[in-house]
Amino acid sequence: MSACEGPEAELLAVLDRVVERARGGEAVEAYGVDETETTVKAYGGEVESLSSARTRGAGVRVLDGSRVGYAYTADLGDEALAEALDDARANASVATPDEANVLPAPEPVEGLPGLYDDDFAAAAPQDKVDLALALEAAARQGKRVKGVDSAQYADSVATVAVSSTTGLRGGYRRCDAFVLVEVLAEHDGQTTSAYGLDFARLPGGLDVEAAAEEARTRATRLLGGRKPASAKLPIVLDPFATASLLGVLAAALNAEAVQKGRSLFTGRLGERVGPDWLTLVDDGRLEHGPASAPWDGEGVPSGRTALVEAGVLTGWLHNTYSATRDGTRSTGNASRAGFKSPPGVSPTNLFFVPGDEPPEALLRRAGTGFYCQQVLGVHSGANPVTGDFSVGAAGLMVRDGAFAEPVREATIAGTLPDMLAGIAALGSDLRFLPFGGGMGGLTLLLEGMTLGGA
Amino acid sequence: MTADASAAEDGSETFALDDGVARDVLAEALRTGGDFAEVYAEQRRGRSLRLDDGKGEDLTSGRDRGAGVRVLRGRQTAYAFTNVLTRDGLLEAARVAAAGVAGGARTQVADLVERRPPLTHPAAKDPLGADRASLVAIVKEADDAARSVSGDVRQVTVSWADSRQQVYLVNSEGHRSVEERVRTRLVAQVVAARDGVIQTGFEGPGAAVGMELLDRHPPGAVGRVAAERAVLMLDAEPAPAGEMAVVLAPGSGGVLFHEACGHGMEADIVAKGASVYAGRRGERIGTQLLTGVDDATDPGAWGSFGFDDEGTPAQRTVLFDRGVCTDYLSDRLRAAELGVPRSGNGRRQSYAHLPIPRMTNSYILAGADDPAEIVRGIKRGLYCDALGGGQVDPASGDFVFGVDQAHLIADGEITRPVRGANLVGDGPTVIGRITAVGADFDVRQGICGKDGQAVPAGLGNPTLLISRITVGGTAS
Repeated sequence: MSACEGPEAELLAVLDRVVERARGGEAVEAYGVDETETTVKAYGGEVESLSSARTRGAGVRVLDGSRVGYAYTADLGDEALAEALDDARANASVATPDEANVLPAPEPVEGLPGLYDDDFAAAAPQDKVDLALALEAAARQGKRVKGVDSAQYADSVATVAVSSTTGLRGGYRRCDAFVLVEVLAEHDGQTTSAYGLDFARLPGGLDVEAAAEEARTRATRLLGGRKPASAKLPIVLDPFATASLLGVLAAALNAEAVQKGRSLFTGRLGERVGPDWLTLVDDGRLEHGPASAPWDGEGVPSGRTALVEAGVLTGWLHNTYSATRDGTRSTGNASRAGFKSPPGVSPTNLFFVPGDEPPEALLRRAGTGFYCQQVLGVHSGANPVTGDFSVGAAGLMVRDGAFAEPVREATIAGTLPDMLAGIAALGSDLRFLPFGGGMGGLTLLLEGMTLGGA
Repeated sequence: MTADASAAEDGSETFALDDGVARDVLAEALRTGGDFAEVYAEQRRGRSLRLDDGKGEDLTSGRDRGAGVRVLRGRQTAYAFTNVLTRDGLLEAARVAAAGVAGGARTQVADLVERRPPLTHPAAKDPLGADRASLVAIVKEADDAARSVSGDVRQVTVSWADSRQQVYLVNSEGHRSVEERVRTRLVAQVVAARDGVIQTGFEGPGAAVGMELLDRHPPGAVGRVAAERAVLMLDAEPAPAGEMAVVLAPGSGGVLFHEACGHGMEADIVAKGASVYAGRRGERIGTQLLTGVDDATDPGAWGSFGFDDEGTPAQRTVLFDRGVCTDYLSDRLRAAELGVPRSGNGRRQSYAHLPIPRMTNSYILAGADDPAEIVRGIKRGLYCDALGGGQVDPASGDFVFGVDQAHLIADGEITRPVRGANLVGDGPTVIGRITAVGADFDVRQGICGKDGQAVPAGLGNPTLLISRITVGGTAS
């Protein structure tokens, strides 16, 4: 894999020492993270809190034949690592053998140089504080803005490395910065709230004005919302709502879920699921993607996977385990929730290939419809197993192709397959949101849905 | 190492920093003029075992440890944490935190005085005393029971998790407390399918206890209940839509109270005016029948502890007293800001997080009505056996909850199962429509997320009648 130097090499050397202890007949993988995060929250024109922290840890996966065990430690000393290795062995000893348990072999990897920028280290703490303060001040301005619920700047610089007895070795560094603000608006005793955010590699790349403006606009335009009349009409999802929907689709496109019968798409590979121009892609190598990385949570090169092509379901997201089980190759979608977790399967940057019309054109196409700005209860209301879909919604009515009166306490119900089949147009406004990976937000027009209300 | 983890002969283990080092770290943290400093050190050993598809897989175990140094100055907070628990590592964290606040007079560190918790929630049977093979046997028993329920059961996932968290906390006011918290949980998730219809069922008891959890919740029963739920829902019809009377079964409505009322009573949300309950203490919002509490003292309950994560003793706080909005849930900072007593609700996910006001066990207390009578009085409505997750906008109180399992009520009888329902409304309106409260009570366990921090939260309620609420169903 990639040759490395600096912090990557140091972490890798620690992991190598674990791998060297492997016994005959045993495969061992060590995965390590060393991350420093800074968070600044502003409130009332002052710094409310400043948090700075470094987390280190390693996870050890042991394959004893085809039995697997996992253990982790936050202490990277030799003694603690040896203890973790012994723990992982003991965990493997009670596992059921499964031939699909294998460690990936090394493959050539191309680096993603854009993930880390040396200028990150040059950003002074005061610059970060100033960004948080500027964000909060900008969000506060404007008619009907009651206040700011939270305004924060956060960044992270992480070193990730992996080493295994298959000879796979590598390390990389990444840096990320983002701002997130939630604005409260008030009018006639009604309070509404909305988020705005921006994401960049470097603090200097963040547009706090735009994030504040986004939150203000989205919160204030919901004021005066009422329950709509129930009706069958076109629904336009805003980029945030589309990103939430993608999160549900991602769970159903996970090969582990498909193999275990926990996906509405089980048995539907090769079938038409959407209009013939619809393409859904997972791409872990986009330069500006929040979830980009040269390789995944077990060292497999990241890549581009078409999940839906020309409206037909064409693939799943795989890690090495699920791919081996299906007799195919990993798509580089092994994921880790930090060093404490063995590899699972997650999307990287998941998105519908955008259309060529701006959001306004989609509103005009809808004519009379509902613009859904906020979905509530996606986690419980959209079921990736059964496909049932029933969520709460807030937004604006669309009349004569333009925004009209605000709406709250509405519901959108149906099934995910109907929803996919009902996609009538995609906006050109693709923008990645850092929700559970990188979800491609864009404006999306749905036909044939029912808006529930009074 | 400065952190000392020593094992006693009975297998129990203590975890503490050296008090002398801790005092030096506090002094360093206050060097730049902070008026309060605190060191929160923690060690957590955890194990999780998941049996999926009848195979033992994903047995994971590990140890995490670290310490966070917090410095307060006026309304400002600075925080730094490290998992390098040496004297140098801790002093470095203190310097980073101190740099986050500056100016003001030097505060002295008081002598450390050991505090004892008002109550403890001891584990009778230490989970770490249960070997790996016995854990495998537990999840297999639940798996077998689930599969034996019906040929329609397609997938069973059973997971076991245990954790032992040891907290060492000192602050510049001289507070020193040490606490051990053991939690265990067994979760069964079942997928059933018939004729192209797929349904899921869930059962997941957990508590702040040791292996004795299984005496109250035998693994076979946990697996069976989850499977029965999934299979029952195969026969369900699409739920009706529209406004109707809804009865929440014991335990099922706690999540609604937690999300739609509890969060809005958390002092940080109140202080920012982002709660629909802000400024309404003393006002009657719910009906006379509604009394809701947050109770960290419920022995061995999922969200219980001895001290909160700032060292404030566990308490029981009344949120709504016979419908009247009563006390907010606070931590040190927000109690001072709102001028209310600390309620012992400063919680954090781990040493990597700042404490914030959180619920512990949020319960609606039992009333006097006969649960069967409550149903008998309803001509047409929905009986919710189990709610799924939900989401609430605290500013407006608007919520949506998925209903995992429900039955139609017709002419005073619980009739056929329905699926795909959700409940849509807002907190204040709903508690103003609680028109009957059963003499029964049951609890559930959840993991509550707020500001990126997940903590165990207990939920509980008796049978509740909501006279009218919007049901978002899929039936046309």
